[in-house]
Amino acid sequence: MKYTQLGEFEELVLLIIGNLKDDAYSISIKEQLKDTTGRKPSIGALHSALNRLEKKGFVESFEGGATKERGGRRKRFYSITAFGRKALDQSFELRSNLYHTLPKLGLSNE
Amino acid sequence: MSKNDLKYSPPSWPDRFLGWFCHEDQIEILRGDVYELYEDRIKTQSKFKADFFFLVDVLGLFRPFAMKRKSVNSNQIAMFKNYFKVTYRNFLRQKVYSMLNVVGLAIGLACSLLILLYISDELSYDQFHSKLDRIYRVLEHFESEGVGEHSASQPFPAGPTLKNDFPRQIEHVVRLFNFQSPTLALANKEQDKAFNESRAFFADSTFFKVFDFELLSGDKETALNQPGSILITKSMAEKYFGNEDPMGKFLEFQGQQNLLVAGVMEDSPSNAHFQFDFIISFSSLKHWYNGGYPRTWYWNPCWTYVLLEENTTKEQLEEQFPDFVQKYFPSFIVDDVELELQPIEEIHLQSKLDYEIQANSDIKTIYIFGAVAVFVLIIAGINFINLSTARASKRAKEVGVRKSLGSAKSQLINQFIFESVLMTYFSLAIALVIVGLILPSFNVLTEKNILFSALFGPQFLIGIISVTLVVGLLSGFYPAFVLSSFNTVLVLKNAHFKTSGLNFRRILVTAQFSISIMLIIGTFFAVAQLQHLQNQETGFDQENVLMIPVIRSQMGKHYETFKTRALQSPHVKSITAVEEIVGAKHQVNNYQFEGMDVSKPFPHFHIRHDFTKTMNIEMAAGRDYDQTIQTDDSLALIINEKMVQTMGWASAEEAVGKRFYYRGQLRGQVVGVVEDYNFVSKHHPIGPFVLSLNTFPGAFNLFIKYVAVKVDGNNIREASNDLEAAWTSVLPNRPFDYFFLEDRLNDSYKTEQKLSSVTIIFSALAIVVACLGLFGLATFSVEQRTKEIGVRKVLGIKTSQILYLLSKEFMILILIAFVVAIPIAYLMLDQWLSGFAYRIDMQIWPFIIAGLITFLISTVTIAYHAMKASLINPVDTLKYE
Repeated sequence: MKYTQLGEFEELVLLIIGNLKDDAYSISIKEQLKDTTGRKPSIGALHSALNRLEKKGFVESFEGGATKERGGRRKRFYSITAFGRKALDQSFELRSNLYHTLPKLGLSNE
Repeated sequence: MSKNDLKYSPPSWPDRFLGWFCHEDQIEILRGDVYELYEDRIKTQSKFKADFFFLVDVLGLFRPFAMKRKSVNSNQIAMFKNYFKVTYRNFLRQKVYSMLNVVGLAIGLACSLLILLYISDELSYDQFHSKLDRIYRVLEHFESEGVGEHSASQPFPAGPTLKNDFPRQIEHVVRLFNFQSPTLALANKEQDKAFNESRAFFADSTFFKVFDFELLSGDKETALNQPGSILITKSMAEKYFGNEDPMGKFLEFQGQQNLLVAGVMEDSPSNAHFQFDFIISFSSLKHWYNGGYPRTWYWNPCWTYVLLEENTTKEQLEEQFPDFVQKYFPSFIVDDVELELQPIEEIHLQSKLDYEIQANSDIKTIYIFGAVAVFVLIIAGINFINLSTARASKRAKEVGVRKSLGSAKSQLINQFIFESVLMTYFSLAIALVIVGLILPSFNVLTEKNILFSALFGPQFLIGIISVTLVVGLLSGFYPAFVLSSFNTVLVLKNAHFKTSGLNFRRILVTAQFSISIMLIIGTFFAVAQLQHLQNQETGFDQENVLMIPVIRSQMGKHYETFKTRALQSPHVKSITAVEEIVGAKHQVNNYQFEGMDVSKPFPHFHIRHDFTKTMNIEMAAGRDYDQTIQTDDSLALIINEKMVQTMGWASAEEAVGKRFYYRGQLRGQVVGVVEDYNFVSKHHPIGPFVLSLNTFPGAFNLFIKYVAVKVDGNNIREASNDLEAAWTSVLPNRPFDYFFLEDRLNDSYKTEQKLSSVTIIFSALAIVVACLGLFGLATFSVEQRTKEIGVRKVLGIKTSQILYLLSKEFMILILIAFVVAIPIAYLMLDQWLSGFAYRIDMQIWPFIIAGLITFLISTVTIAYHAMKASLINPVDTLKYE
């Protein structure tokens, strides 16, 4: 199962793609990443992650129509696959399970 | 797809780069992304920033996923691996050649690197000031008809008055002052530490506003505001206070004034045109001048720097100077004074004025060193080309096989260039090791403190790598083309094979030897000129003269006592006191002699009695100052012969008795004329000169700086002990210090000394490198002719004939080189020597000797091969084929 690993950055990107629904393409993902996490990945790093996600089968992509901006070039939109969704679920489940078994700290403000 | 829709378009070359590496499937999307980011940025940021981030984005995309996959040709990588392997094997197969080649180039590179380090250090002087381009030193040219001084310093009031008169052009003024004294005494009374310091300066409180020196503790704004404050450097803090914190402690200055340590400074950078250990607040001087500052505009002891306002040019301020001079300078000199602004960055290399703070370098030295560096590099490069080409013939078979297996010409060219670049980098590695090993000695030789790590600064690194690359490419270029053009069939048939390009090689060898001969000739003349400067008669005796700094000491009061006590010693021959170091420096004063309408500036010198006796200067006419004649002090002058000529007096005898005036009033007479002696270094011709007796005890505050003592050369130690005893008897609290006049005078020729030692070393190395090349070429030429020699031996040739046969070609080349080198060397040297007031004549013998040396060394080199060739057994060479 070589391609089922989901890296931390990849997971974030995947979540954002899910959230952006129909408007998930590189620049909007980058913007969203910046707004929600404060991270500013280079466009190269982001594409590299998107490429890996697609290879692993977590997302699929299709090219949109020509746009007036970008010098008339097309965008590549991404959407999350069922497999990707499953990977997110698994990851969430794993994390929350682990989280709930954490011993409570006596001094915490919860 | 039209870019024209954009208001601004991103820079095109990153875009092209993207197009070049990016995979076709990806290009449209990725290019769209970077364009979109660019458009977003250009709305809020400057074009420059947007362009920059565009480049960053494109570089960020330079990742495997985006690259063209098919274009990566594994075959090429395999070929490079093969080239590497072949280079390695060839290196091992021809160890001697290869080592000659690599070592020769490494020596050449190492020389150039060392010189480059030296030059870059020289060029770095004063570059650390952040306001560099606005800092100027104010110079005073004070001369009449070519006699006078070019002073690096100004009168006391000049600085503040400039600031006051030109407030809109000048932001700050700072003056430096050190009583014009070679040493000043400082002491930490608590720890009983007292030293004579030569690098202490008084400076205006604007010091830190003009210069960028580091203050480790204390406040730059206020440190120099108060009278009685002193800043000391880190090493001085250690010297005077040990491990204690010096802040707030006191140092005693000249045994009188307590100075509060208000700050500790970083040691002065070695590449500053003035070095300091102590900076004392300027207002502390009031203590020494009855609560004020000297107000004369005649005496000019203050090095004055101005920081111009941002938008003021040097010329704008200089325009105002003539009026400024008219307004303030004393009326009897206004017509002889000119002020000038000198950019601070020019001081170290281009300034040779009177009263420099310390001796500067000379830009000429930089040019000469630079030329030597280039020469050595050329010689080494030529070597490399020659040997590579020579070796090439050995590789003919390899080329033949490669060609018949389908190697394209371009691939062969690639291979050989790759190889030569590889070798140059190997040489570079060796060169770096050599530089690392030699640098400490080089530093001693040149009195520098260059760090090896300086080589790894970004500019240097890029410079070295690219220069080496260029050498590699150039040296690889020629062999590459020769080799790749070999005819496959002929080569493989082992036909009689003659390397083309022999003529080209001949030209290179000739060039190489021309340069070597020029370097040898240059070295001869540099050394001879130095000898000439140092050894030629100066007209006075500098041997066994001790100089004792006495300025601003109580010596004035005790001089006669000291003199009497010291002369009781059998080892002390004669004692006098002088204003400046005899033969190195002088002051300037206005004099009006008979026949002059107004007074004019002349070089002069205050002395005490027995000056001519101590210095062994002959009187041409008249008498010396006489101890028994009280009025000599003010009513008599002694001049030199040149002065007699300048005044147009017929003879020295006639000059005696000529009158001189002071402020229009008759003052006294010339009582004696001394024979001309070099009162400054031999960089300058002897000018008119006045010796003036000054027996006023207060003169020791300014006009008398040293006591000069002639001692018995065989008992110098005893003499100095006796002198010290006499000294302590009159000045128990002041440390006794002395130096030898001869040593100090030799320092005047430091630039020439450095120049000659560096040229000697590097020309020697250049010749070694050239001989390595010759050795290699001779080896090659013998090997090519082994069969011929075999046949000749069978026919009964003698060893001497073999020598003739082999050396004939090279001798002709050396002869041509000699003929080419002579006129060039002659012209360049004549140019260099014309800068000296005392220069050697161009003689023939250095040229002949240089030719002979080259001839001999090359004969020996070739003779070695001829001997080897004569030992060849003809059977061995002829039995094949």
